[in-house]
Amino acid sequence: MDMKAAPKHKMGLKERYAAMTRGLDWETSYQPMDKVYPFDKYEGIVIHDWDKWQDPFRLTMDAYWKYQAEKERKLYAIIDAYAQNNGHLNVTDARYINTVKLFLQGVTPLEYMAHRGFAHVGRALRGPGPRIACQMQALDELRHAQTQVHAMSNYNRYYNGLHDWRHMYERVWYLSVPKSFFEDAVSAGPFEFLVAVGFSFEYVLTNLLFVPFVSGAAYNGDMNTMTFGFSAQSDEARHMTLGLECIKFLLEQDPANVPIVQRWLDKWCWRGVRLLSLVAMMMDYMLPKRVMSWKEAWEMYFEEAGGALFKDLARYGIREPKCMQQVRLEKDHLSHQVWTTFYNYGAAAAFHTWIPDADEMDWLSQKYPESFDKYYRPRMEYWREQAALGNRYYNKTLPMLCQTCQIPMLFTEPGDPTKICYRETSYLGDKFHFCSDHCKEIFEYEPEKYIQAWLPVHQIYQGNCFEPGTDPTAPGFDPLAAVLQHYHLNFGRDNLDFEGSEDQRNFAAWKGAVTRNQVG
Amino acid sequence: MSHSLTIEPTGEVVEVAVGQTMLDACLRAGVWLPHACCHGLCATCKVEVLDGEIDHGEASSFALMDFERDEGKALACCARLESDVTIHAELDEDPDARVIPVRDFDGTVQRVEALTPTIRGVFIELDQPIDFQAGQYVNLEIGSHPGTTRAFSIANPPGNGRLIELDVRRVPGGLGTGWVHDTLAAGDRVRLAGPYGRFFLRRSAGLPVLLIAGGSGLSSPRAMLHEMLAAGDTTPVTLVYGARSSEELYYHQEFVDLVARHPQLRYLPVLSHEPDGSAWQGARGFAHEAALRLYDGDFRGCKAYLCGPPAMIDACIDTLMKGRLFERDIYMEKFLSAADAQQVRSPLFRRI
Repeated sequence: MDMKAAPKHKMGLKERYAAMTRGLDWETSYQPMDKVYPFDKYEGIVIHDWDKWQDPFRLTMDAYWKYQAEKERKLYAIIDAYAQNNGHLNVTDARYINTVKLFLQGVTPLEYMAHRGFAHVGRALRGPGPRIACQMQALDELRHAQTQVHAMSNYNRYYNGLHDWRHMYERVWYLSVPKSFFEDAVSAGPFEFLVAVGFSFEYVLTNLLFVPFVSGAAYNGDMNTMTFGFSAQSDEARHMTLGLECIKFLLEQDPANVPIVQRWLDKWCWRGVRLLSLVAMMMDYMLPKRVMSWKEAWEMYFEEAGGALFKDLARYGIREPKCMQQVRLEKDHLSHQVWTTFYNYGAAAAFHTWIPDADEMDWLSQKYPESFDKYYRPRMEYWREQAALGNRYYNKTLPMLCQTCQIPMLFTEPGDPTKICYRETSYLGDKFHFCSDHCKEIFEYEPEKYIQAWLPVHQIYQGNCFEPGTDPTAPGFDPLAAVLQHYHLNFGRDNLDFEGSEDQRNFAAWKGAVTRNQVG
Repeated sequence: MSHSLTIEPTGEVVEVAVGQTMLDACLRAGVWLPHACCHGLCATCKVEVLDGEIDHGEASSFALMDFERDEGKALACCARLESDVTIHAELDEDPDARVIPVRDFDGTVQRVEALTPTIRGVFIELDQPIDFQAGQYVNLEIGSHPGTTRAFSIANPPGNGRLIELDVRRVPGGLGTGWVHDTLAAGDRVRLAGPYGRFFLRRSAGLPVLLIAGGSGLSSPRAMLHEMLAAGDTTPVTLVYGARSSEELYYHQEFVDLVARHPQLRYLPVLSHEPDGSAWQGARGFAHEAALRLYDGDFRGCKAYLCGPPAMIDACIDTLMKGRLFERDIYMEKFLSAADAQQVRSPLFRRI
């Protein structure tokens, strides 16, 4: 073999990418392409030319491993150092760790679901460009889930509520909100999934999920979670460009795609906003050292950045998501309404709740001059007084849930923060309930999908959330205790107020042990 | 004293003088890097520094975030070398792009002609011939303010040897255009650098051409049209030319004559502020509206080239995209002001 004949030419990034991706693709001949790729037409999306997909980044799989391996090495060095130095004792205040619990219970499983979703969608698309992009994102998401679990396992050695997050994700009432969000997305068609997760979530809303948690970690001395965040963020830029390219591709391929995409944007921006209400409460209530208010984050990342995006999308005939007006009205109220609900249901949550202290209330007044003092401060002060008198009230009944977003009916009417918003519709003789016009509209477009929702409250009432052998007719039966047992939630350790919790006591004792000398 | 700059992925090496920017050195060496505003505002020229030390210069904190600096990103138009440096740039090979190094030229003004009440045609005989692609521009040094330059598209096609034409509209209160209109005269010596810009014909695509010009933005489209004719290219070309009024319309007769001789050409002049009841028999309104009517709202299958004021370009992009012509087939020359760069922009579009 004459090796000298081999060309000396070194392929450029673009050329190399083409050879390693599209160059490896082929048209099937034993089976028709439509049978090999059965899912990419039924949603009504028309694709004339898959080659028009512009690969938004030019990373080949071989290079991908190298980049990611380097990131992992750096991340795990920090995680190890953090563990060895008892880094958990450097967080601002043990209340902060409840943010980590919420993240591990509610966000990490979503990373894993995103991994599954992208792996599935990548398989379903006949164009090699998006297929490769989805493959890489599927791997990224798996890496994020793993590194999050590893980073946060540090805390599981010392604090309650982190011991069985995967089990809880499948069962616990408030975790059905993120769970059902992602199940809605992965059970949709491949293009809807890309618009829902790749665009609406990873592009339009990602800064509102990721930045608060990562900066929250940084502000509160949690180098562990912060470093994980930085490591993931370098992937997020790639995910954002995938989302953008996807939407452009769909809108340019055929005018018939525009109204379909518009409906998905309306749906998924709203679904995302509802999901982010957990982040809103985290930002305003759970971080001892605040980064910025939910309202400020919303204005910066959604109204400003999203506004510029939708201005550009208008060129394709796309308008702002329908929910914009309602979200504008809700931004002064969202976090307060959600946190007070958790305070109310603190006996059934796998993290601790508390009433903000005087300084924190002043911060809230300042950030929410239109709403906090008028509507929320008086309630919280009253609850604090009652708790001091020994009358801390934990609600042990079950709330009505929205059939679509699965959040308890806690949100108020747009424009009237004193009245709970209820909507309902009938389908095949059954009545269904919603938190908003938007959730109702989503249901009404695909009722056969949402009537199958696994609603935690309904499931409890149907007796599906007790351990095998439980007898609800036994004398003195305590349904809440039985449900918590089923959740693997340890009563008195994982739940109830932060004040008086084991976490609080342990943190104070350990912190004391490292800062003071023991006598005797 | 200079440092070497290696540009990946092509591996080209450029010498960069102390105090010179990466971008200037590259363009002068005939190495094209993506760029637009040239003073650290738009971030089009963002590159990754793989090795070596640089100074970020006046790169705006809006265009180059702190975290990007930490990641080794730099803006080529502002970055200066502190050592030998290797960068990685996003280079797309464009089969229609020619590699022409940017050079400094001295020349003598041959004549200045009033093309319209607000536009002067400045004909400059350079000391050396200049090579360029139709649609490119030069930076002319403003005689009254040495060191200050203004960008002007070359209005003639290549192949004129040493003679170039710059058509300059007076910007009210404008320093550079004021100098051209009020002071510049035949016999004056001038200095300019060029050619710059990625606004040139993509003839290899073999698609019909739509040129939309507004006001003094006619220069590049006119040069492009002549370049095609000179090459014997019979691809269909449509020129939509918007002006305020009939007295602001220039080279009108030239286009009318060309259309009579070349069946592949279409020419549609359109006036936005022509007084009612004037002798004008042609179209009225804005250029994008005229194009919309001419194409019946369907622009698929062509390449569009836009040159004119930002409002015209925005309106044209809206119209073209509604008519299903997208970014990959739209080219433009857009001059960025500091105010434009401060706007919050989404990254949906790369070039338009």
